[in-house]
Amino acid sequence: MAHPAQLGFQDAASPIMEELMYFHDHTLMIVFLISSLVLYIISLMLTTELTHTSTMDAQEVETVWTILPAVILILIALPSLRILYMMDEITTPTLTLKTMGHQWYWSYEYTDYENLCFDSYMTPPLELDPGELRLLEVDNRVVLPTEMSIRMLISSEDVLHSWTVPSLGVKTDAIPGRLNQATLMTSRPGIYYGQCSEICGANHSFMPIVLELVPLKHFEEWLLSTLE
Amino acid sequence: MAAAPEPGEPGKGKPFKLLGILDVENIPCARDSVLYGSLGSVVAGLGHFLLTSRVRRSCDVGVGGFILVTLGCWFHCRYNYAKQRIQERIAREGIKNKILYESTHLDPERKQTNSDSSN
Repeated sequence: MAHPAQLGFQDAASPIMEELMYFHDHTLMIVFLISSLVLYIISLMLTTELTHTSTMDAQEVETVWTILPAVILILIALPSLRILYMMDEITTPTLTLKTMGHQWYWSYEYTDYENLCFDSYMTPPLELDPGELRLLEVDNRVVLPTEMSIRMLISSEDVLHSWTVPSLGVKTDAIPGRLNQATLMTSRPGIYYGQCSEICGANHSFMPIVLELVPLKHFEEWLLSTLE
Repeated sequence: MAAAPEPGEPGKGKPFKLLGILDVENIPCARDSVLYGSLGSVVAGLGHFLLTSRVRRSCDVGVGGFILVTLGCWFHCRYNYAKQRIQERIAREGIKNKILYESTHLDPERKQTNSDSSN
């Protein structure tokens, strides 16, 4: 989950999110160097007495400031494309989970083996137990197995929503009349929180997502106990 | 996901960020790259000044040196870091497979021994 006033990413819980963080570090270093250069040039501009009012051309500097940004863009674009294609890799998912966005809750359907459907409403602050997180807890969590490729099919029954779990690097729009697919794969068990990321009305901020990732054995036990 | 610090417990301080954006404490290779870059900047700028006695141009050389050395160290360190991560993943998978398949027909060591004996 996010800490108060957090600016950076949450800890990565999936290989894709790890790759996204590495790419972010790479791009941030380039941005930092460009910012340093610009700051230095600004400080030079403030302290120079060099003025030349009849400059006609400046071939060398124009060549440099054309080639250099192109090189910088290539340095950023190559890792970006790599991770873009990595996110769209075709895998063979072992489980499919359908989620529908509503105003203002999510509903989930596990229909691979048995027909399990439930709604997931935010727990109101007055009903929270001590230690629970305000505006993030739900009444029914989504339980999934770890270290398995899971297909998410995301859509909406009414208006636009967006199903987001920052720790897993997933953000997919829930669009009425359209089925979007995302692939989840977590490296470790845990509870991962997310919130609706597309404005959808008065309670847009009050329809969180909670994933409980457990080992396969515990997932099977949960499935059996829920179906009973 | 980490629990908030209890009252009275010393919490983790805010990470130090260069220019307010680059978290040198938590980003792998960032601290080393910036430090080597600073060293390269000082060496290049000072060396140029000692050779030419031109202050302004030496400052420009210093800044250019900082950018080049930082970028070079960054790519070198990140490449090695990525290689290390891949090796760690291979080792982890190998240990997992070894534990999982030991004394079964899928045991990687058994397959290797069979191929050695058939040769």
